[in-house]
Amino acid sequence: MADVARLNLTTKGAEVRLRSLLEDVVQGHFGVYPEYRLALAVWFGKSGGDVHNLLELFSGPPSNQFALTRFSLLWKTGSESPPFVEISATSVDHFSRQLASDPVVLRRFFESWEVLYFDKGLLPENITAAFNIITEPPHLMKGWYVEADRARGRTIRDLLSSYESSRPYVGLVKTGESQDFENCRGLLHVEHNQLWLPISLNGLKVYTFYNELQQGQPGLFLFRGGSLYLPLKFEEKTAPEYSSLVLKRLPDDRYPEVYLRAVHPPEQPAA
Amino acid sequence: MTDTLKSICEQCTHLNNPQLDFIPAELERCREILARDLRELVSAAAGENEKSVAVLAGIVLEGTLYTLIKWQSGYIAERRGTFEFNPGHSLRNFVEIFNRWLNDLTPTVTLPDSVVYYRDLVHINQELKGEPSICATASREMLRILDLLLGVLSELTLA
Repeated sequence: MADVARLNLTTKGAEVRLRSLLEDVVQGHFGVYPEYRLALAVWFGKSGGDVHNLLELFSGPPSNQFALTRFSLLWKTGSESPPFVEISATSVDHFSRQLASDPVVLRRFFESWEVLYFDKGLLPENITAAFNIITEPPHLMKGWYVEADRARGRTIRDLLSSYESSRPYVGLVKTGESQDFENCRGLLHVEHNQLWLPISLNGLKVYTFYNELQQGQPGLFLFRGGSLYLPLKFEEKTAPEYSSLVLKRLPDDRYPEVYLRAVHPPEQPAA
Repeated sequence: MTDTLKSICEQCTHLNNPQLDFIPAELERCREILARDLRELVSAAAGENEKSVAVLAGIVLEGTLYTLIKWQSGYIAERRGTFEFNPGHSLRNFVEIFNRWLNDLTPTVTLPDSVVYYRDLVHINQELKGEPSICATASREMLRILDLLLGVLSELTLA
């Protein structure tokens, strides 16, 4: 058994090193071509051989074919010896169209694959879905924090018109709601490395919405679609069951839950 | 906003009295630059200059990560398999490296993606994309994030 364990460890170590070499290749392609931005890198057809396969998709002017390049993964040292990487590169647009019209042609990219890099802002939904790139938990509501003095006397429509065009700042996954929908509680999220993840209690302390609530002068959370909520309090609780609601569980399953009350501003702005 | 930048900054002990001992002697120039930029940051906060604070705090954050990652390249290589410090990386790259490879050294700090957008407020198109109070929010959060990070780093004894 000890020998098997050692063998697995060696294999694992080799894969870790191989992954880092491939990631170095991918990083070398950030911002290299002024017109093209790297949107996706996938290690596919993973095997123990000397040639390792990468798929790279670039945003920018569409291309109608795959460009193939092959070189040593030890290129930084000037070596031309194995292991080698063979890169199949094309445009996001081309790949997306092929995926929709003729997915069988792309079958080889989906054999034993691992996403090494993605930029979700550059990828259409059919590609993120095909490679199972999940960046947010189910039922995440995205929105903004509006300071109390900015919200005063304004309708929801007016607030949405001010905020809707800007990048969502905060997310909420509800963990409970009253029958009349007037009160709810949930886990606040922000983006880390492109993933919407729950905020820990320690992490909360840097955010304006937390500090203003502690000072007794909370603003409001405005969510896409027009829900408006007043934060009432934060309460940290141990809740292993919440791990199924989030992409990454918090240490020791300790989640700060925010308690919210729905706010109904006037239909007409204050005179 | 209920808090002034000055009052937040006064509570941020690691900004006012930075302990940059985690920076080794061979990176003395980095330490000097960070110390100077921190002084300018505190001064901008005292003057309630929201945009200056947001951008300058982003610069200090980038400098701190640059220094930390350069210094800890060997540690990252040990965990990752190989690692070569790239001084030309962007703040986004540094944040990703910090969150992925150095988070076990500083488990209480994970940097949100918003720090990159806040630093990029230096470009007017980024500010135009943000919500109306983006500079007010960014400046306050960046002060607190930077203070938290410097506090954690000051307690580390890095190999």
